[in-house]
Amino acid sequence: MNVAYLVRKLAQALVTIAAIVILLFVLFRAMPGSPDRVSKNPNMTPAMQAAERARWGLDKPLVPDQLVAFIGSTVTGDLGTSIKFRGQPVTEVVGAAVGPTILLVGLGEAIAIIVGLALGALSGWRRGGLVDRLGNGASLVFYSMPYFVIGMPLIMVFASGLGWFPTSGMTTPGASADPVGQVLDVAGHLVLPLTAVTLGLIGAYSILMRSAIIETRAEDYITTARAKGLTDARILRHHAFPNALLPMVTFIAINLGYVIAGAITLEVVFSWPGLGTLTVAALNARDYPLLQGIFLLVSVSVVMFNLLADFVYGALDPRVRS
Amino acid sequence: MSARARWRPGRVVAALAFAASALVMALPSAAAADPVVLRVGTTQDLDASNPFNTVLVSGFEAFQLTYSLLVEFDKDAHPAPGFADSWERAADRVTFHIRTGMQWSDGEPADSADACFSWGLALAAIEDASYVGVGYLDPNVKDAGVTRIECPDASTVVAYTTDQSDRILQVYVPILPEHIYGKDDYTAIAEEKFDAPLVGTGPYTLAEWKTGQYARFVRNPQYWGPQGYEDEIVLRFYSNPDAMVQALKSGEIDYARDVNADQFEQLRADPRFTGVVGKANGFTQLAFNTYGSGTGETIEGGGPSTLALLDPAFRDALGYAIDKKVLLYRVLGGYGDAGTTIVPPVLSDWHVEPTTPRTFDIALAGQKLDAAGYPLDGSGKRLDKQGKVISLRLVTTSTSADYAKAAAFVKSWYGQLGIGVSVAVMDSSALGTLLLPSAGAKYDLELWDWMGNPDPNSLLQVLRCDAIENTSDSQYCNDAYDSLYDLQLTQTGEERHDTLAQMQNLIYDEAPYDILYYDASLHAYRTNRFAGWQNMPASSTPLFSYGILQYTLLTNAADAPIPPVAPATDDATQPAVPDLPDAGGAVSGRPVALLAMVAAVVLGAGVLLARRPRPAGADDDG
Repeated sequence: MNVAYLVRKLAQALVTIAAIVILLFVLFRAMPGSPDRVSKNPNMTPAMQAAERARWGLDKPLVPDQLVAFIGSTVTGDLGTSIKFRGQPVTEVVGAAVGPTILLVGLGEAIAIIVGLALGALSGWRRGGLVDRLGNGASLVFYSMPYFVIGMPLIMVFASGLGWFPTSGMTTPGASADPVGQVLDVAGHLVLPLTAVTLGLIGAYSILMRSAIIETRAEDYITTARAKGLTDARILRHHAFPNALLPMVTFIAINLGYVIAGAITLEVVFSWPGLGTLTVAALNARDYPLLQGIFLLVSVSVVMFNLLADFVYGALDPRVRS
Repeated sequence: MSARARWRPGRVVAALAFAASALVMALPSAAAADPVVLRVGTTQDLDASNPFNTVLVSGFEAFQLTYSLLVEFDKDAHPAPGFADSWERAADRVTFHIRTGMQWSDGEPADSADACFSWGLALAAIEDASYVGVGYLDPNVKDAGVTRIECPDASTVVAYTTDQSDRILQVYVPILPEHIYGKDDYTAIAEEKFDAPLVGTGPYTLAEWKTGQYARFVRNPQYWGPQGYEDEIVLRFYSNPDAMVQALKSGEIDYARDVNADQFEQLRADPRFTGVVGKANGFTQLAFNTYGSGTGETIEGGGPSTLALLDPAFRDALGYAIDKKVLLYRVLGGYGDAGTTIVPPVLSDWHVEPTTPRTFDIALAGQKLDAAGYPLDGSGKRLDKQGKVISLRLVTTSTSADYAKAAAFVKSWYGQLGIGVSVAVMDSSALGTLLLPSAGAKYDLELWDWMGNPDPNSLLQVLRCDAIENTSDSQYCNDAYDSLYDLQLTQTGEERHDTLAQMQNLIYDEAPYDILYYDASLHAYRTNRFAGWQNMPASSTPLFSYGILQYTLLTNAADAPIPPVAPATDDATQPAVPDLPDAGGAVSGRPVALLAMVAAVVLGAGVLLARRPRPAGADDDG
């Protein structure tokens, strides 16, 4: 892969991120409302409200004061302090929520990729067969379902009904102090939301992989392999699957970029303390600094994974580099 | 067999082991030494552990568990000994006697210096015409008329007041440990994080707070009052109210705050749970934009769309077009009270019913509008005195679906009078800004709510002239009302009651607000683990009310006499719903039924897709 290609892609990514930073600033300030009007405090005087606005820097002109201050601090890694969680730096608040989201959605993506690709490959390979009918049908059902429709029945049956798993949250308050106990505690809380996110994600991978395999099956080299007397399983594993996987690279990379964004409805349904739940809380409080921090992180993550996809694709397919 | 193929079963085993370990972990394990934990669910996340920075009920609950107030609340929400175990009132002062031998949870002595420091923060802010933190606590001190505080010795606090009111006994200022925060002035204290574990004099102290998950409180062995039965208290935060109710059913939590009417009825029908209808110290109002009334001012390009809104006769007539009973049953599911005056009935010492109440009568409303000079035109539309068709813009917020439901009814009833209403639902921040005259105040009707303090002043002040451009959502200004407000500040007992009665009737008659209903707070708790539940006060709920006494009065349900302690739910009986109309556009369906329908449709579609005919050319099935 030549250096010029790498530099060009990197520069494009940086320009995109710079544009995102400015867009974020404009976007949140274009929304109606103001953080100092969220709480209805009947005791607040106008002077107190003015002081509150000054405290959050909302009294200064948007351009250039607030914009310059925003860009300057963002570049230095200072995302400001949260308005909702008073006194806590945005990096701290967002940092605490990133881990749970990556754990839940990242793990969900990983399982969905493995299971979804396998299911899609089998469905496509034996189109119209039992696996295809059941697997593809189930994929379509779960793919079309919002997370809360998948999540609530899971809670009602396996948490509230059978009592096997906790209904929501990530940890049990005051749970065991030993690391093994803590891991098991989180694992117990993780089962239902992870099941929901995985079921929701498998469909997309399965459906796309199925189409890719069906296309690949018609290729000449598959016919050749069959003519050579290779077994069906071997043709699928060594010839059809790797070739069908190529177009999935971009899709997987883009999806992984969105892992950081979490699944807002899923996290809310299970009260999972991740970025999705935090986004809803920040939005309700018009917490500009926190919202900006979250959206910046999500945007950068998507851009970086796209960049990675470009590099991987460039490495795999020389035609792309030109 | 390739290495890759051999690895696959291993992955399956690993996954199964993970699931099995999670399952084992999730099964209940009973250890004899496990602490007794009261687990309380709420959909309201904690915003701050710093008492001066919280604006939420959950925050008030949290800081009151950890820190004592100078004067606490008894089970009837009347003043009770707290950090001070007694007090005396003189003409210009109240002398508080601090408990002797009291200690903070870290073993340090707790005395008058801590009280003077804590109240001193509020007084310093008031003197600077400023505020502490988010400005929710210090106004209590100001409203109580406190001008100065002295601590002549370790067991005495003297607070000087401008009047002889007893509001000084309802001041929500927690007594903080001076030995920890004494270096802070009122601005620095707002920047303190109050990271757990906290040091307090309350019955339980904050030991752990995980944002968005839970706050855990542990027993304070140094607490000055009787120790509670439970060793720990956990406030669990749910972003999904359905999950909270499921957690109550599964036994994960013992108490659920603010369930909806459908969930409440389900829980009430189950003998494992007790439902409590707590009357809220607040109301939901339909506010008329009366900008210019009393002042004659106008807003260029903004303000009310018709001068009719400034006419008390017009507003009074519209009052006859609101069926409060329908709103109560169709919006609140029957839980709550029909609205009348601006002081809620839960403040029974001060609430009065109107002298000349309005009843629902659309025809009468029409006659009164005609008589007041607002006739119908040929097409059945109501005209104002300038001959313009009256079409009102109603604004409300999306924080509760109830507002949109109520707005749909208002639109329907006003429509029958020939008055068009357009409804705009927005988030609370946008609505809060839109109401400001400086932002144009471009609305005619506003449907929102207010929640008050133990004293009615916080609710009464939103109709003062000086609330405009601040808390006022009616832009109402009436010097007579302001004078009465100032007068009642100096009064106590019957005198104050009479003045407040005048104020309530004045607002009812002038009708800048039409109080639609007094909301209710629906709570539910399990009865198998804890006994001794009581509503505090009787019209309210056991928890998230005034004070934290309930937490120390719970007992082991296994030790409770049979039949157990009479639950405080006599008022939870819902009368049969009368035959009431629906508003066009009002949503009254049940989410669960909707969810089941969606699931059925999606599953049906999936089955159809799965059963679709085999494509031509598919030659290798099986």
